Amino acid sequence: MNSTLAHRPRRLPAFIPWLLISPSIILLVALIAFPLLFALKNSFYFWNLQMSPTPMGFIGWGNYEMALSGGFFFGALLNTLLITVVGTAIEFTLGLAIALLLVHKVPGMNMTRALLIMPTTIAPIVVGFLFRYMYDPGGGLIPWLLTSLGIPLPPQGILGSSTTALWAVLFADIWQWTPFFAIVLYAGLLSIPPDIIEAARIDKASPWAMLMRIKIPLIKKTAMIVIMLRFMQLFNTFDLVLVLTKGGPGASTRTLGYSLYQYGLVDFNIGLASAMTWLMVIVVNAIIALLVFFAFKEFD
Amino acid sequence: MTRSVPAKAAVYALMLLMLVVFIGPIFWFVLLAIRPADTFFTMPPVTAFTPIWDSVNYAFGDPGNNLPQLLNSLIVAAGAVMLNLPFSLPAAYALSRFRIKGRKHLMMWYLGLLMAPPVAFLIPYSILASAVGLKGSYFSMILILQTLTIPFSIWLLRSFIDEVPVEIEEAARVDGASTATIIGRIVLPLILPGVIVTSMFAFVFSWNNAAFPLVLSNRETATLPVGTLRYFGTAGVTWGFIAAAAVAAMIPPMLIFLALDRYVVRGLTFGSVKG
Repeated sequence: MNSTLAHRPRRLPAFIPWLLISPSIILLVALIAFPLLFALKNSFYFWNLQMSPTPMGFIGWGNYEMALSGGFFFGALLNTLLITVVGTAIEFTLGLAIALLLVHKVPGMNMTRALLIMPTTIAPIVVGFLFRYMYDPGGGLIPWLLTSLGIPLPPQGILGSSTTALWAVLFADIWQWTPFFAIVLYAGLLSIPPDIIEAARIDKASPWAMLMRIKIPLIKKTAMIVIMLRFMQLFNTFDLVLVLTKGGPGASTRTLGYSLYQYGLVDFNIGLASAMTWLMVIVVNAIIALLVFFAFKEFD
Repeated sequence: MTRSVPAKAAVYALMLLMLVVFIGPIFWFVLLAIRPADTFFTMPPVTAFTPIWDSVNYAFGDPGNNLPQLLNSLIVAAGAVMLNLPFSLPAAYALSRFRIKGRKHLMMWYLGLLMAPPVAFLIPYSILASAVGLKGSYFSMILILQTLTIPFSIWLLRSFIDEVPVEIEEAARVDGASTATIIGRIVLPLILPGVIVTSMFAFVFSWNNAAFPLVLSNRETATLPVGTLRYFGTAGVTWGFIAAAAVAAMIPPMLIFLALDRYVVRGLTFGSVKG
């Protein structure tokens, strides 16, 4: 941003900018405050929607105690953190490797880059359909490929075994979002001034040193932004789980996002789901504050 | 940069591998929509078959089970984009042009909304929408989608408006043009490309959102992904129909991304990284 109007002589009164901004704030606050307050109130009530259309009795912290002590919350939080941390790390590393490949100017590379982003454009729920087909134990492409390579698979299928299901869900996410990292980091790499690379080359920097000492530090800001955005999206994962495993087998793929759906809209335990909602809101806000602080510190 | 023959061969080999891994599954799913049913799950995979259009016909031709849902997706996504502009455009303009106290925090607040878990709002929206009689309406979905489209558009639009030199507006003001003339004749035409690009990305994000329609739509207003999900409830999983409907849901976002190639990085990072 080069210049703003306000520090020059102006005829516009000061309330004008706020007149332009406030409608968006008012609408958004209304759309967010109502559901959050509604959930806050219900989190202190016992309420099963199948039994009654209205809350069925004040139970204090009962729902929170149930969520925290019954393992509902921490089990889901653990699954969520696991896929979020591992997924972001893998997607970033693979994406960076692909970005380093994309900068090679050979014929066909531009078209490859344009096509590469296609998985990211697909709705996560549709990626779920796609992978559920490919994981099918009765003749899906992925079990067939793995078996052909001599890799033993669980007899219940990849999505049917509690040791593999969570990783299978994560694999679908990695497939969808690695191109996102690749494309954005590629844009970052392109913005590095060529003379810096040239100077390093004259100094005979090894390719590894070039990557770690020059390229990564120079694209740090871009990298932090994509890591942060993806971290939060992964933390909120819900659609993929809904289609692939419905949280199962057992609770092995229950992420926080899917748990809310399960307790509220499948089991109709609105009280418990509302308490979980608030626990998740608190965790998400803490993470966002932390991430925004690190990734967008110098943003304006 | 890449001059030696072996290095070039390695680049091409990796390029091919990349396309197989990332585009192959999409291609495989598209084939599912036009395969004879007895080759859905044959392994080793059958690649030579005569395409049949039964699944596509069932979904979109005769009787066209998913055709109304395709239309619903279109109404909801287009509606979400249109409702969002009167809110996001003035806000983005003000946030770009005026040095307002708390501007940075406000931008972070919008960004925070984009990162909020949609599922946290599903239960209240579902119950509240029923209570006020909006459940199943297009409007309920379009309205709730504003929690995504407004913050997204403000971010992306602002990055476009930042690039239009403010001097043009000042010159017009010095020439005595009224505020209305400046906005209508000068500002809008200059930022129109940015508005179009932003609207197309906002369309994709609304089109791809399944969480809100999942709880807010009914049988008549279900969008394409939600309609596709219903096939899992019927006896056995009808893979040909699922693929036909899901592939149709994939196509518009893909075409839009291909058309907006040079803006893709910017769109995906809400304008914070200029591609």
